[in-house]
Amino acid sequence: MKKSTLYSIILGAAISLSSCVDLEEAPESKQSADNFYQNGEDAISAVNAIYRGLNEGTGQSLYNSLMQIGTEMATDDYEAGPRARNPHVRAISGLTHDASNDRMQELWRQSYGIVNRANVAIDRIALIGPDNISDALRRRTTGEAKFLRALAYFNLARWFGGVPLALHETPEALYVANATEAEVYAQIIADLSDAESLLPAPAEYGEQDAGRATAGAAKSLLAKVYLTQKDWENARKKSREVIDLQWYGLFEDFADVFNVATKNGKEHIFSVQFKGYANFVGNCMAGRSAPTSDEVPGVNGDYADALHAEGGLYSSFGDRDRRKAVTFVTEMVSPADGQRYTFIPHIHKYYDPAAVGDQYNSSSKNLPVIRYAELLLIYAEALNEEHNGPTQEAYDAIDTVRTRAGIPKLEQNLSADQFRDSVFQERRKELVFEYQRWFDLSRRGAGYYVATLHAAGKTAAAPRHVKFPIPQRELDLNPSLKQNPEWRK
Amino acid sequence: MANLLHFAGIGKSAPAILSLFFALLCGAAAFGQVSVTGRVLDSRTGEALIGASVKVAGSAQGAVVGADGSFTFIVAALPVSIEASLLGYRTQELDVYEAPAQPLAIYLSEDLNFLNEVVVVGYGTQKRKELTGSISSISTESLRQIPASSVDNALQGNTAGVQVSQESGQPGGRVSIRIRGGSSIQGGNEPLYVVDGFPFYNNVYSAGVVSGSSVNPLASINPADIESIDILKDAAATAIYGSRGANGVIIITTKKGKSGERAQVTYDVSVGLQRLAKKIDLLNAHDFAILRNDALYDAYPDRGKYQYLPQSEIDRLGDGTDWQDEAFRTALVQNHQLTVAGGSAKARYAISGSYFGQDGIVRNTDFKRLSLRANVDAQVYDRLKVGLNLAVSRSEARVAPGVGTATSAWGNSFISSLLIMPPTATVYDADGGYTLQNPFENIFANPIASLLEQDNRTRSYLALGSAFAEYALAKGLTVKVLAGATVNSNKEYSYVPGYIYEGSFSDGKASVGVADPYSWLNENTLTYETGIGEKHFFNFLAGFTQQQLKSESLSAGASNFVNDYLAYNNLQSGAVILTPSSDAETSALLSWLGRMSYHYGNRYYFSVSLRGDGSSRFGKDRKWGTFPSAGVSWAVSNEDFFAPAKAAVDDLKVRLSYGKTGNQEIGSYQSLSTLAPVSYLFGNSLVTGFLPERLPNKDLGWETTYQADLGFDAGFFKNRLSLTVDAYYKRTVDLLLDVQIPWTTGYSSSLQNYGSVENRGLEVTVNSHNIKGVVSWHTGVNLSLNRNKVLEIGNSADAYISGSYLVKVGEPLGTFYGCVTDGILQSGEEAVKGVFTGNATPKAGDRLYRDVSGNGSFTTAEDRAIIGSAQPDFIFGITNTLEYKGFLLSFLWQGSAGNEIINANRQSLELFNGQQNAAASAQDRWTPDRPSATIPRAKLDPAPVFSDRFVEDGSFIRLKTASLSYTLPRRAVKSIGLGNAKIYLSGQNLLTFTRYSGFDPEVTSGSNATVQRGADAGVYPIARNVNAGVSITF
Repeated sequence: MKKSTLYSIILGAAISLSSCVDLEEAPESKQSADNFYQNGEDAISAVNAIYRGLNEGTGQSLYNSLMQIGTEMATDDYEAGPRARNPHVRAISGLTHDASNDRMQELWRQSYGIVNRANVAIDRIALIGPDNISDALRRRTTGEAKFLRALAYFNLARWFGGVPLALHETPEALYVANATEAEVYAQIIADLSDAESLLPAPAEYGEQDAGRATAGAAKSLLAKVYLTQKDWENARKKSREVIDLQWYGLFEDFADVFNVATKNGKEHIFSVQFKGYANFVGNCMAGRSAPTSDEVPGVNGDYADALHAEGGLYSSFGDRDRRKAVTFVTEMVSPADGQRYTFIPHIHKYYDPAAVGDQYNSSSKNLPVIRYAELLLIYAEALNEEHNGPTQEAYDAIDTVRTRAGIPKLEQNLSADQFRDSVFQERRKELVFEYQRWFDLSRRGAGYYVATLHAAGKTAAAPRHVKFPIPQRELDLNPSLKQNPEWRK
Repeated sequence: MANLLHFAGIGKSAPAILSLFFALLCGAAAFGQVSVTGRVLDSRTGEALIGASVKVAGSAQGAVVGADGSFTFIVAALPVSIEASLLGYRTQELDVYEAPAQPLAIYLSEDLNFLNEVVVVGYGTQKRKELTGSISSISTESLRQIPASSVDNALQGNTAGVQVSQESGQPGGRVSIRIRGGSSIQGGNEPLYVVDGFPFYNNVYSAGVVSGSSVNPLASINPADIESIDILKDAAATAIYGSRGANGVIIITTKKGKSGERAQVTYDVSVGLQRLAKKIDLLNAHDFAILRNDALYDAYPDRGKYQYLPQSEIDRLGDGTDWQDEAFRTALVQNHQLTVAGGSAKARYAISGSYFGQDGIVRNTDFKRLSLRANVDAQVYDRLKVGLNLAVSRSEARVAPGVGTATSAWGNSFISSLLIMPPTATVYDADGGYTLQNPFENIFANPIASLLEQDNRTRSYLALGSAFAEYALAKGLTVKVLAGATVNSNKEYSYVPGYIYEGSFSDGKASVGVADPYSWLNENTLTYETGIGEKHFFNFLAGFTQQQLKSESLSAGASNFVNDYLAYNNLQSGAVILTPSSDAETSALLSWLGRMSYHYGNRYYFSVSLRGDGSSRFGKDRKWGTFPSAGVSWAVSNEDFFAPAKAAVDDLKVRLSYGKTGNQEIGSYQSLSTLAPVSYLFGNSLVTGFLPERLPNKDLGWETTYQADLGFDAGFFKNRLSLTVDAYYKRTVDLLLDVQIPWTTGYSSSLQNYGSVENRGLEVTVNSHNIKGVVSWHTGVNLSLNRNKVLEIGNSADAYISGSYLVKVGEPLGTFYGCVTDGILQSGEEAVKGVFTGNATPKAGDRLYRDVSGNGSFTTAEDRAIIGSAQPDFIFGITNTLEYKGFLLSFLWQGSAGNEIINANRQSLELFNGQQNAAASAQDRWTPDRPSATIPRAKLDPAPVFSDRFVEDGSFIRLKTASLSYTLPRRAVKSIGLGNAKIYLSGQNLLTFTRYSGFDPEVTSGSNATVQRGADAGVYPIARNVNAGVSITF
């Protein structure tokens, strides 16, 4: 080779290499917000991600135990079990929690995670060109996002009161001030009202979409929002509307509410979906309340969520109540030695015998957020309050639930107060371990909450406990945010 | 045959003897006058050495060397021995047996006294005396006798300012290196490595299939191929590496052949034995059974005192299983290396092949490497030089696996599980199968079954090559083009059989994964060297470089196999297919660089450098950064006025530098609003969702470190004593920090440039040639102090807690944050002091904690204090080398003072819950009969509390290396036809003095953890070893 040829090759190589790299990143393994949200499929997956906020990850997520340990511990029905090692959980159980309680912080964090995903979906789906998404799909996905945002805010408002209202994709505002509780509820109602008109009826979804939010779910949740606000008339109207649509009904057998085979059935208005051994997440509520290996060798449940015996929930169930056997377990055959062991009652609603090997954390049972039995009880309660005494329709509603449970109808001629007590007791028994008790106690008012807990031996309960303190971290980071008045030092 | 007749005597060896034989045989020219002509050349540069002197050895007859290095003189008879010498070079003798047919070439190599030694700097070399920056160098000699799998393992104690901690003693395990302290909180803190001009970070690319500690990527490079290591510390030295210079730069130069040196074939072999230095003192079966009875009785007093075992059975238990004995062994390490190196006047080559095999001191762990390297360069034309450095290797490691727990497939580290496995449990059950798991409440797998039966391997191919062409455009003006690539393929294998705990839920579980990082580099530099008159010397460097890194990974797996035969080699036969995953990432760096050095009259040295880096990793508006530096040094001893002091001080040079460097180690795509996939379930089938995983930040940029360095180099007593002292101040600003933001945004944090950290330090290096002569004694001492301090973090906070650590303004990184023990609750004190136990129902024997917040009670969340720091007061290394005739004895002592270690193993061993084994201190636990004031009672379900009890003094001094070698006398060696022969014996970690109670004080868990440094949580302990070897040159 001639020298000059060689040199020109070297020089040529140097020059040709001079612009090989591009400093603009084009992630090949990551979707980017800048090139996503372009069509109907993108819209669907943006919305799917919001649902995942309900039970994200394998740890304690909102509807996979966090609402139990972060909320329900502060009631007369539960206490931190022997294996609940987290002092924050013990604090909630003993009503000594404060603004740095890590479980309550998680309630806040995970709920706002749902809010942000919903905000992104709502904002971005609106920008998809009409050629790339059908009107029906745009309406449906927007409706789903609004339903889920409303659910998150509804929980937040009930826990923390006047929380910041973030309604658009960050970083529009990093530091949002408190809204008033009324403003938050107005937004919840607006979102649910939109959702009920945007969302399809359950039957309009194909089987492959079972579990998505429906118009029925929006209406039912709206009824519950009105009920919580003591807007009895609207609560009655909305629940009645759902009843009249005849989309839903009760399972004949209470056990079917929690059967894997009858998931997303006629009673289920909206449920959080679980499936063990499917590269997804199992419902871990079974494990949290299951007996330990000291009680039954080889079982080794967490026993972190224990029944608070002094609350008297278990003893309030009559033996004929068919819910008792579904809800509780008091004896088991040990997988280790084959012997039968009896023990104090443990909650057993989510135990899935099909989850081989790890029955307690890989349960495929769904977690009901709202189901028809509760809707009937909402209707009964609203009627009673609206008319300052139970109507026959109110009796019929609660008795439908009682009859299915195999217990006698409610006695007639109850006063408004007596009927109210009966509805709350029915809710307590019907909906135990479905994250309802604290909400029920707190919405009846501070006096009722404190009296109930004191009667159950939880004497540290005080009026401020009907709201949770806003997490200290948020107060530290966000100068616009103020603590709830009852929790200010 | 003529070419046989003038064999040069540089490598006096067998063929030389042969040629002497021929010379005697032919003998014709051995009479009468002979004219000998030749040239004296620099062995490194090949340039003529003007001013050298040449003479006949043992006589006064000499010749004058001309401007082109040539000489001619007439001798009476052959053979003669010609001696060439030059100040600053080693004198060379050449035996001439026959009148040379062509002029002789005598190559002189520089006499590397401290100031004359050549130092590799970024994109070039300099003599140490010309440096304005702070650079430490490590010679091959100090690396040779350590049978380390990778070079970073051998850096301990050798240089000031470099702190090395072991992340794992696993063969091929990683170490963590900090040069002048850690300056990043969340970005990388490891230095940049530059191997023969190719820069890379020692990052692990894994497909996530293998459990346990990761294998050190640097272990793919054979340490025996390394000629020198230069560690660039201050900004004047590192700023030429711009956005990658902030953590220091380690430049590794591999061995090259020498010009004009005939082929040398060297075979090195060494064999060694390694052992665990120390076992942890644990309970035996008898004592453990009593502990468990106590714990159960405490929890269920109504069930009696012997709920676990009756006393009669306990008395028969004896020691039970010593799980440490089951796992540890004496392990073999061996190394074979064959090198051929040499060169002609115009070409040099070094070719080596090696095998390194190390068994781990934990059974079923090992590391094996086969490597091949060829370094060649040639002056193909007068003006053109080309070269190639190429290394290929294959390495394989069996890694101690993670151990399964009830909640996680590989939840426990192997060592942690080993320590807490109850001694009452046995490795095998009565049927001869493995005991599956800890029989008690705290479920985890039998660690020995996990170790022996899990197939947990990695295999890595690495090709690292660079080729260059250097063309002299004009005198002093050289253009160089370099192109290189690293091609790496890491494959990971995991198989968990169905008959051990981890595989028992899935009838066997197999996974394979591949991670393929690939990086290419192109560097184009122009250097110009010139002098004006006799006193002004300039050196200019300008360059343009570009580098791109692409990595891809892939993993797949299956479970529920018919039997265990196929392992991971037939995934399709598994009944259940596990979710596969793949990933890809690209990053690029585009740079301009320039440097100008100027020195005047061997007294004043100036150097400025500038680098502009464009990195793909940063935000749209912050892609480019500029990194300038300036250094000046003054050779005071070369001043006329210094002459009177010359008698006492031979050399004195003062250096001052200042500059700016960057850190871009945050991974790719961090400035973008990327989406993460999640699944949800509809209709009982999975669907995919995408959610935004971070806030975009188009202003995301580098971490910037400003560093000032003031130092001096001095030589005393004819340079027998040299001293280097450096003081530095480093301030890192715009830290890449996940700044906490309100959760109401939907995110916890946002990666921003925020906060700053400073490091101040002092480094002292002393080298002394204490005794010179037949007995020679060298001492080298290095000492470094570094003070680290967080100056600013995030927006509204001055501190945040990260696990057992606190990052707080005013405190150093690596500050431990935990509870403070305050004795033991004694009987009768429950009502008064019970609130300080943190237990809902306090009982005598519970540990008491100090109420730090002063609110009248104790909780782990509120009552924590600073209880230690991983930062040492100082670290040091002391080397002593004694030479006598062929014997060489050397000792390296190395140590650290004032740092603390979180002994997480001990925290777990002092739970005393009877569910797992406990430390021997359990024998002194509180009981009603023997109330202890320091050690709590047995308790079935204690809350684990991180307290000062588990923070220990991590100071140590250790005999890192001791070695004795004997080089056989040349005559004796020659007589058997060899060139050189050496035998040696060396040992590592033979003696350690420390109060630390864990396996080893030279430890840190996790990788790249500046914040979470100095924790010992289940780390594979490093071995003590003894090694013997032979090195033979033909």
